Amino acid sequence: MRTIILVLAAQIALLIAAPLGAHHSFLAEFDPDQPIQLRGTLTKIELINPHSWFHIDVVGSNGEVESWAIEAGTPNTLFRKGINKNTLPVGIEIIVDGYRAKNGTNTASGRDITFPDGRQLYLEGSAPPAPE
Amino acid sequence: MSKGKLHGYCVYFIIAMFGAIGTVWSQAPPSFDANYEPPRTPSGQPDLQGVWSNAILTPFERPEEFGDQAFLTEEQANAYQEQRRQQTFRGDRTVDVETDVSHAYNDFWWDWGTELARTRRTSLIIDPPDGRLPALTPQAQRRREARIARRAEHPADGPEDRLLRERCIIWDGNNDSGGGPPMMPSAYNNNFQIVQTEDYVLLLKEMVHETRVVPLDGRPHLHDSVRQWLGSSRGRWEGDTLVIETKNFTDKTYYQGASEHMQLTERFTRVADDVLLYEFTVNDPQAFMRPWTAQIPTVKLDGMIYEFACHETNRGMVGLLSGARAEEAAAREAAGN
Amino acid sequence: MLRNQCVALLSLLALAWNSQVSSQTVVEEIPRTAEGTPRLDGIWQALSEANWDIRPHAAGHALLPELGTFTAIHPGLGIVEGGALPYQEWAAARQQENFANRLELDPEGKCFMPGVPRATYMPFPFQILQTPDLVMIAYQYANAVRTIHMNDPGPAPNNSWMGWSVGRWEGDTLVVNVTDMSEQTWFDRAGNFHSEALRVVERYTVLSPNHLLYEATIEDPDVFTRPWSISLPLYRRVEENIELMEFKCVEFVEEKIYGHLRKQSDE
Repeated sequence: MRTIILVLAAQIALLIAAPLGAHHSFLAEFDPDQPIQLRGTLTKIELINPHSWFHIDVVGSNGEVESWAIEAGTPNTLFRKGINKNTLPVGIEIIVDGYRAKNGTNTASGRDITFPDGRQLYLEGSAPPAPE
Repeated sequence: MSKGKLHGYCVYFIIAMFGAIGTVWSQAPPSFDANYEPPRTPSGQPDLQGVWSNAILTPFERPEEFGDQAFLTEEQANAYQEQRRQQTFRGDRTVDVETDVSHAYNDFWWDWGTELARTRRTSLIIDPPDGRLPALTPQAQRRREARIARRAEHPADGPEDRLLRERCIIWDGNNDSGGGPPMMPSAYNNNFQIVQTEDYVLLLKEMVHETRVVPLDGRPHLHDSVRQWLGSSRGRWEGDTLVIETKNFTDKTYYQGASEHMQLTERFTRVADDVLLYEFTVNDPQAFMRPWTAQIPTVKLDGMIYEFACHETNRGMVGLLSGARAEEAAAREAAGN
Repeated sequence: MLRNQCVALLSLLALAWNSQVSSQTVVEEIPRTAEGTPRLDGIWQALSEANWDIRPHAAGHALLPELGTFTAIHPGLGIVEGGALPYQEWAAARQQENFANRLELDPEGKCFMPGVPRATYMPFPFQILQTPDLVMIAYQYANAVRTIHMNDPGPAPNNSWMGWSVGRWEGDTLVVNVTDMSEQTWFDRAGNFHSEALRVVERYTVLSPNHLLYEATIEDPDVFTRPWSISLPLYRRVEENIELMEFKCVEFVEEKIYGHLRKQSDE
């Protein structure tokens, strides 16, 4: 019993010490009071650092198409998972869950990027299907 | 086995062990083979070349709960690793909104590492023995407080108010650790590459394509009046360990609170085919009450360094500054009504 | 006796003649690796005016009148074979626009990595480190660096500022194929530019222990009507204890790039 308690305490202590991913620049750029969900067609992915950009066309409630820029992670992560400029799933429909930019432009953070059926856009090692 | 032969083996063993002293072997962690012989370059130096990852789950400082416990048991280490591997940060909205925003994006993009240090240490800091940073001197403490105060008052007047990694000058780890060298992991792309020739060692850290070409010919450091972001590095071999001494830092970096007088000693020893033990000592009496040392067993990456062009496409800085200006404008408008 | 002296004198003259001829034909020994290839290791720098304008050009005004001769254009013989660049018509007009707006547009002025071949002839030293599998080139400017893969690394996952370089030895010349480069780099300060379709083949040849010959063939069917070539010598920096000092220039250009977003102090 004592061993179990010690092991658990050790785990908790290490978990607390592990970095929680505080990304201060995101808090400076994006507004916690403006969560947003967007559904649209992926038109372009810019594989640039320090953040890649996913561009989507969203059809608004008035029927007009708006272009949105979604800030995501470093493309070097994609390269290491076998995804590169030749395998980008342009043309597919995606859902973005994130936060709006403070500067009022059509920009948001790409907190979660999923297919309409809920699957994550990118999972360990797997590439998304080609556009239909 | 005859008594004579056994005696012979014993002598051989003792000689091999003593032969290894004078390098880092005298403090070799239990998980590495003390008799490991690294491959060698044509000029006879240990071959440290390749791409190495310093992504690691071990925390920088030992959590206070551990007290004097410097090493985890194998059972504790396995349990912790398993738990961390299963931990994801997707769709988890139980954290507060600010944490959620600042976590930026889901686990796919992060690389915190999947392993604790193979040494099973409870912290990267190995000296002082409590595994924690020594106290800052009063002047270093004042510097830190002034920096924090300034940042609170001027969070985003201009780029110089932001972190070195937001400016794409030096990627200073995940927290505000103040820049390097030393080469510390952050949230992703935790890789550096070593290329060796007889007279130089090239260190290429992926973020931000940070390159040091270190001479091994015993020349002096740059003149004291010349200060550089990455300092002035000079290398030498001590047995099978590459030792790099760096000084001539500016006051624009502040690694864990260090001053421009920091003297950094880095040690690289290949302790297994896939492990390069990276150890560094910070010596800065103007900033720390005593020197301190950290150690990361970096792991060989089967892959390459990719270009991390940061400043060229730093849209985040534009977003950050324009966001601050928009907030100020909105506040002025609200006040005016 | 006179005949012997004559013979002796003639022999001496013949010997002197021979040794003079041999010393003229002896090639200075260049350093070589264990594999027998020339060793390119060292710190090198171009002495040409190519970074101002790779074409032949006269001297010219600085970017702003108050600068006087600071940034006034240095005259140059040019490094382009044939002198002129074979632009397509639209591209020639675009180059003129680039030149007119170079203060704002030149990526060098923003501390952007210069790409290939410009990095080779910027007025900053660079260091070559040569191993059998990799040739690394570290540039002083902007702490830029290139990896030249001597074994096939596969296709580039992406475009990059310093390109995707694959090298091989052809006799005593290092030949490097550079592809997948960002279209945002320029060839020089005069606005000579290219597209994403750019492909460069570099050739590094040892001329002497302290000189390299750098040649490059430029191919870009989206901008030019045919491939074209450049050529210039590179000089070894022979000062004692020469090293690549730091030129991390981001802090020098932040005001230029982000100044319009700075908080105004009257608020």
